[in-house]
Amino acid sequence: MDELIADDGTPRPLGAALMRLIESIGHDELTERQRRAELDILMMGITFTVYSDGQNIDRAWPFDIIPRVIDGREWDGISAGLAQRLRALNMFIDDLYNEQQIVSDGVFPAELLEASVNFRPQLRGVRPKHGVWAHISGTDLVRDDDGQMYVLEDNLRVPSGVSYVIENRGVVKRAFAELFERQRIRPVDAYTDELNRLLASIAPDGLHEPQIAVLTPGIFNSAYFEHSFLAERMGAELVEGADLVVGDDDCVYMKTIDGLERVHVIYRRIDDLFLDPEVFRPDSMLGVPGLIRAWKAGNVGLANAPGAGVADDKVVYAWMPDIIRYYLGEEPAIPNVPTYRTMYDDERRYVIDHIGELVVKPANESGGYGILIGDRATRAELDEAIEVIEADPRNWVAQPILSLSTVPTLVDEGIEPRHVDLRPFVLTSDRSYVTPGGLTRVALTKGSLIVNSSQGGGSKDTWIVDGRYGRSPLDQTLDQPVGQRQASAGSGQEQSQGTGA
Amino acid sequence: MTVLLARTAGRLYWGARYVERAEDTARIVRAYNDLVVDYPSDELLRWEPLAVVAGSEVVIDVPANDPAGEFTVLRHLLADRSAGSSIASSVAAARENFRTTREVMPREAWQAINQLSQYVDATASGAVDRQLRDRFLLRVVEISRRLDGILESTMTRSEPYQIIRLGRLVERADMTTRVLGVAAAGILSLESVDRTDLVNDEVRWMSVLRSVSALQMYQRATRGPIDAMAVVRFLLEYGAFPRSVQGCFDEIRRVACELPSPSVVLDALAEAQTALAAARPGGEGGAELDRSMEAVQRAIVSLGDVICRRYVDVVM
Repeated sequence: MDELIADDGTPRPLGAALMRLIESIGHDELTERQRRAELDILMMGITFTVYSDGQNIDRAWPFDIIPRVIDGREWDGISAGLAQRLRALNMFIDDLYNEQQIVSDGVFPAELLEASVNFRPQLRGVRPKHGVWAHISGTDLVRDDDGQMYVLEDNLRVPSGVSYVIENRGVVKRAFAELFERQRIRPVDAYTDELNRLLASIAPDGLHEPQIAVLTPGIFNSAYFEHSFLAERMGAELVEGADLVVGDDDCVYMKTIDGLERVHVIYRRIDDLFLDPEVFRPDSMLGVPGLIRAWKAGNVGLANAPGAGVADDKVVYAWMPDIIRYYLGEEPAIPNVPTYRTMYDDERRYVIDHIGELVVKPANESGGYGILIGDRATRAELDEAIEVIEADPRNWVAQPILSLSTVPTLVDEGIEPRHVDLRPFVLTSDRSYVTPGGLTRVALTKGSLIVNSSQGGGSKDTWIVDGRYGRSPLDQTLDQPVGQRQASAGSGQEQSQGTGA
Repeated sequence: MTVLLARTAGRLYWGARYVERAEDTARIVRAYNDLVVDYPSDELLRWEPLAVVAGSEVVIDVPANDPAGEFTVLRHLLADRSAGSSIASSVAAARENFRTTREVMPREAWQAINQLSQYVDATASGAVDRQLRDRFLLRVVEISRRLDGILESTMTRSEPYQIIRLGRLVERADMTTRVLGVAAAGILSLESVDRTDLVNDEVRWMSVLRSVSALQMYQRATRGPIDAMAVVRFLLEYGAFPRSVQGCFDEIRRVACELPSPSVVLDALAEAQTALAAARPGGEGGAELDRSMEAVQRAIVSLGDVICRRYVDVVM
């Protein structure tokens, strides 16, 4: 289904104002605005890094100018559901590293925990502030044919993309200024303030102005732009592992031109295993020896806490509805996609019998690699997948193939529907914050479901629109010359078609 | 409280040096281009010395169809990414450095650098063309000046700002001595032909002044004719002119005093100042000037090393 255009080809009320504007300015002007937006992106240096031909290339961020629109009331429900989900996930992680009550109560199978590659037994007994481990999460949502949003996966380690949410908005504001005047589109740039506040809240006790640092693997990382962006927006330091040192006092310091300066909170964008060679991979050149020691001693706050990845495993995902019920006594506000767990004989048999109708995913890879889409694979590919699943059943899950919703997208041929997903970002501390909207990723290739920017995906600005957005007198003023708009805008009769849900 | 990571300090310092290098190279090439246009057409003015001023260390092979070396040298200085001294590679290096320091700089400043890099990438190889080159070079200078203007008017006077200033000033002082060194070498190489004529060659010395954008200020300061000795003295010693070596040194001293524990830097600066005082532009045509410039350049290089040791490669 298309989110903005109904089956009969007319705009849905949600997208009416936008589609009318696009129609009224014409294809050439739209293409021109797209070109200007791309130029803005280039000039603002909004990039991501791809590894190709043995080189890391700093590429302009791929972007489609036509925004995706979501109704504010629908969003409020999704937003509450995300906050709920992250509360439960954090209680789950904290429980796993401490009492493991959920295991002894028989809700979460012990063998799953034992087999988990993301569980870090070295960290048992740690109790981070607020009991929160996954402070920053990027939860991927998709909308199916029935119009329902589903959670596709949780990313609790080092989810990226939020910088592009903010930058995309800046670009689209210039491109469609006329709509921002007329509609109530929720702003997105409070994120970095919220993140800053969250990070300050996990500083060691009694500190008023903690020194916050963003820890990056360095310029060759695909998300380096974002690391730099976040540090810049928060007034934090952007540090690499080699800039930090842990002293004999188990405190973390950074090397400044004026000697060592204490660091109180680290937003780390380095994977767990590379974080501290004393505890995890001894060959890591990216990390800081002693960092975990300092964290356990309560001398530095780490976000996300190491070990949080135990819960973003695609196998744990299958238990999420139970996990939410167990800790919160509530029903999940956003449904999971039905997920078959190949570790169970009956579910594996189902997967093997129906592999042509399923998406098979590795439980622990990210980036879209290694995903098999059943109805697009050859017989040989399907057989190979079956073999791989049987060899290592715990590492795979399968789900029905969803028909991802589409959004009108500007392509060479004109405006065509393209598949999208959505990654909102959720901040969890003693309170929750959810970005209004999030990063909409779009598969630019016709029919493709692969939205990753590393594999030809693009992105769109996401508008959460409140109030009346249907064909109202206000919108009809679009047809009039600029000078007349002001006068009629004030006197227009209310004839809203309702906002629908 | 501001803190500046030693690594970031290094990136800022080198980023600033590379931008300044690109700007100064553009100024020098513009001035030389002017000189060529002004020069009597029966004499062939070769372009290779220009590559030496700009710090090129390779021997440039000039093909027969480019007798003055004009297009070969310009391609090398403007667009050749493999040549470390070219505008294209200086700008690319500046961008790579500043790309890692965005959190300490005003956003607009990053955008100016990025714009410079986009512009140079798109235009440099075509800018060898006679019709386009001046516009290109002027644009490079302008964006670099805009960057300085942005920093000057919107950046807190904290450590990152001062480190950027240091990078700019050290590179600028170095470039001014290079311009003089090569002018001296030019005099030397032509000495044997007809010395008296060349020492008084006004056009040539005007070009030297132009290459550091000093012609007008020189004329106002000296109210005199273009005289070889006076030009050299002006560019070395006239501290009120900001691109003179003395002017750069004075500013480096002021900037260093804003940074933590600068005593080693001030010591190295004092040594450079001694070398500058010992510079003797007079006598023996170009030979002595050439030698003096080498000594001043060496002192500037070691000043740069001391700055790096003190603020970048700090042992902790």
